[in-house]
Amino acid sequence: MSRPAAIVGIGQTKHKKRRDDVSLPGLVREAAQRALDDAELGWTDIDAVVLGKAPDPFEGVMMPELSMADALGAVGKPIMRVHTAGSVGGSTALVATHLVQTGIHDRVLTVAYEKQAEGNAQWGLAGGRSGGMGAGGIFAPWMRSYMARAGAPEHIGWMVAVKDRRNAAKNPYAHLQMPNLTIDEVKDSPMLWDPIHWHESCPSSDGACAMVITTEDGAARSPHPPAWVLGTAMRSELGTFPGRDPVRPQAGVECAHLVYEAAGIRDPRQQVDIAELYVPFSWYEPMWLEGHDIAGPGEGWRMVESGETQIDGSFPVNPSGGVLSSNPIGASGMLRFAETALQVRGRAGEHQVPDATVGLAQAYGGAAQYFAMWVVGSTLDAVDQKR
Amino acid sequence: MTPAATEPDDDNSVKMMDYFMQLEYREPLCPVVRRYADQLLEGRLIGHQCPSCGLVYLPPRGYCPICVVETTDADETVLSDRGTVTNYTVVTPVQYYGQHETEPFVRASVTLDGGNATMNLQDLVDVPVDEVRVGMRVAAVWKPKGERSVADISNRSWGSAEGCIDGWRPTGEPDAPAEQFLGKATF
Amino acid sequence: MDDIAIIGYAQSPSQRRAELTEPQFLFPVISEAIERANVERRDIGFTCAGSCDYLSGQTFAFVMNLEAVGAWPPISESHVEMDGAWALYEAWVRLQHGDIDVALAFGSGKSSPGDPSEIYPLQLDPYTLTPLGADPVSMAALQARAMLDKGTITEQEMAEIAVRSRTNAANNPYAQVRGSGDVDTLLREPYVTAPLRRHDLPPISDGASAVVLATADKARAVCERPVWIRGIDHRIEPHQPGMRDLTESISTRQAGRHAGIDHGPVEVAELSATFSHQEKLLREALGLGDEVQVNPSGGALAANPVMAVGLARIAEAARAISERGVSRALAHATSGQCLQQNLVCVLEGA
Repeated sequence: MSRPAAIVGIGQTKHKKRRDDVSLPGLVREAAQRALDDAELGWTDIDAVVLGKAPDPFEGVMMPELSMADALGAVGKPIMRVHTAGSVGGSTALVATHLVQTGIHDRVLTVAYEKQAEGNAQWGLAGGRSGGMGAGGIFAPWMRSYMARAGAPEHIGWMVAVKDRRNAAKNPYAHLQMPNLTIDEVKDSPMLWDPIHWHESCPSSDGACAMVITTEDGAARSPHPPAWVLGTAMRSELGTFPGRDPVRPQAGVECAHLVYEAAGIRDPRQQVDIAELYVPFSWYEPMWLEGHDIAGPGEGWRMVESGETQIDGSFPVNPSGGVLSSNPIGASGMLRFAETALQVRGRAGEHQVPDATVGLAQAYGGAAQYFAMWVVGSTLDAVDQKR
Repeated sequence: MTPAATEPDDDNSVKMMDYFMQLEYREPLCPVVRRYADQLLEGRLIGHQCPSCGLVYLPPRGYCPICVVETTDADETVLSDRGTVTNYTVVTPVQYYGQHETEPFVRASVTLDGGNATMNLQDLVDVPVDEVRVGMRVAAVWKPKGERSVADISNRSWGSAEGCIDGWRPTGEPDAPAEQFLGKATF
Repeated sequence: MDDIAIIGYAQSPSQRRAELTEPQFLFPVISEAIERANVERRDIGFTCAGSCDYLSGQTFAFVMNLEAVGAWPPISESHVEMDGAWALYEAWVRLQHGDIDVALAFGSGKSSPGDPSEIYPLQLDPYTLTPLGADPVSMAALQARAMLDKGTITEQEMAEIAVRSRTNAANNPYAQVRGSGDVDTLLREPYVTAPLRRHDLPPISDGASAVVLATADKARAVCERPVWIRGIDHRIEPHQPGMRDLTESISTRQAGRHAGIDHGPVEVAELSATFSHQEKLLREALGLGDEVQVNPSGGALAANPVMAVGLARIAEAARAISERGVSRALAHATSGQCLQQNLVCVLEGA
């Protein structure tokens, strides 16, 4: 069976370089409590918890669902821990959604987090070895390939960086607050991984995100408008083999087409009002616009250049400020999912896109090989309304 | 094991305390990687060529993950130690516990001559970082036989030729046409 | 819930130190499970894996395991940082949608590269318990001591459980610790960590297990004797051991009730009792009488490939039904120290 699922509660922490005022359980509970408050539900109303985060060695805590069970109100309930690399926040939300859609549970709390200041992700990524280059070093050559393939000028990356930081200034939860960042400042910032400058890279953040997902009945009782899940999709592929195209990974293409089909979307550029895409490095905005067939080959960067992806453009991307402005790794994917839900609920505050009724969220991970996506709408027929 | 970042606060109050832990893992090389390491010591790069699709895996994995068939010594192939830089980035090292790199360094993908095998994340030597380009012809710089070590070779393809090859040096041959590689990423 | 069936399963032999890498020893296990399920790889609509970075000592260790699946062209896939039994749970949930009809779940772990007594303290509360370095054997010893003090078990009974497990394992080609041996001899052995002797402890194992699931129609079409999942549930309890009565497993009891074990008599139970005393504790939590055959495979005392061992219990319970004519069996998986989190799966034949 498959029944409608709705997001009725959304919570996130203020994302910061270092949240030294809370412990790991304190961090996740802060986001979870806010999600419950938003839904006007209590801890005992929750049937099950689905937790996600990036690799355990990032904080040095193995299987943290065990030590967080109490803080997440999970005692006596089912709790699961999802881990699908960078896409984990998205995958976690999808597992929670599936628990509701299939009729197994009526109210599921899903939470994702990272507390980077309590560990060292760069160390974790390098496995403790020297010569570690971080995720940026892995992705940089592919961005170079994209630029060559699409004939994209280098200022596109700078434009994405400025746009996302200015959007973040409208989002009180965002880590980086740089309302006045300029193209020149981006261009003149130190080169980290050619072509990625300092300002074109995501920060390292502490933060958590949580959502309450429920049934049609639950949505009817919700004090605020729900967001409806109109389609979900997950796709994975091998990370490395001769001939793989990591610039436009096949798993990303297929995942997008699956989620469009599930939601009844024929033309995402016309039928989606707002997209939150996982863009940890500036160039990934045009790369995913093309990689998810929102734009045709070589058109992604033109959408950026023409301002279409600005918050007031025709296809706003990452009005929240995106991963470029807040990167609590494990939560970064869920934040994309939660932000689309906030938008179609009309509850995104200053970074609200007016009249947004259909949102597309994406998270990716590994060697650009794991993808999770959903489409949410203000109503169950929100996509149909756009035909 | 995971050193926390400790920064003094303005008021000198203790907000966080470092807790260091150390875990030791010892995993012997699996047979196909052992064989690969032994061949490295002899100055040879070997791979497994999938008997089904013909793709070459370096280091060998003992299977082709695409065709989902196992590969064995019978599928072994000796690869050229010359190739072409098909992609690269210049990395400004991030400092973390255990990081020894301090200056910008190159990590390049080198596609070996005569096949589809590519070695990723390779060091280039004797070339300034700003002169690296796609299409550059390079050859492996083998350490002298007695100085080779496979201590850093792991089952996870890390240090794929580290300890035996110092890096790749430009050969001085004319570049291979960059258009052939630009826009194509291999990984 | 729609009925979902187990149509194929496979395990690797459990080894103290596998010569192969995790994806290498996983590779034939997945292939065998698919083959036994009588389906094609491309029929699989969803795959879910269970594994643990800290066992391998490697961030993103699960990424390499994808190579054993055949993830090209791309597949619909997920991963839990939990025992493969929870991967099966996620796959079971996914099948409930009804839009796909076959799913694969697998679990794998290579414990040999690391030292469990160093690694598992990281599974505890990082602020108050990890710094104490409490290792799993010490934690289990506290639990066994509590049971002995309460009079719910004796050291003699613990040794009897170990002997029965080893004897049962003699017929299990995947087991690591086999053989008979008598209780009196075992009881003369010194304590490892009192009150636990070597026979009360699980072996350190490398291994993998895989299970193929299908919707009812598909299962009937491809499988002569599908094994039906009649119920599956999992529950957790407080983390701090001091907040729990370690002589009981409340979460197992809850999971068992929600999985519907009371709906009929259980003939076989495959329990993830990684320490001898836990078998008795689990038996009581699940209300299993003496007539129930417990761990005919030898259980976790005979082979303990962490992250695969719980799923292996499900595979063994399924095997009892499909190969030995048992009509109703249950499988149990656990996570955390002293049985903090537990999963119960009820299986039936025709």
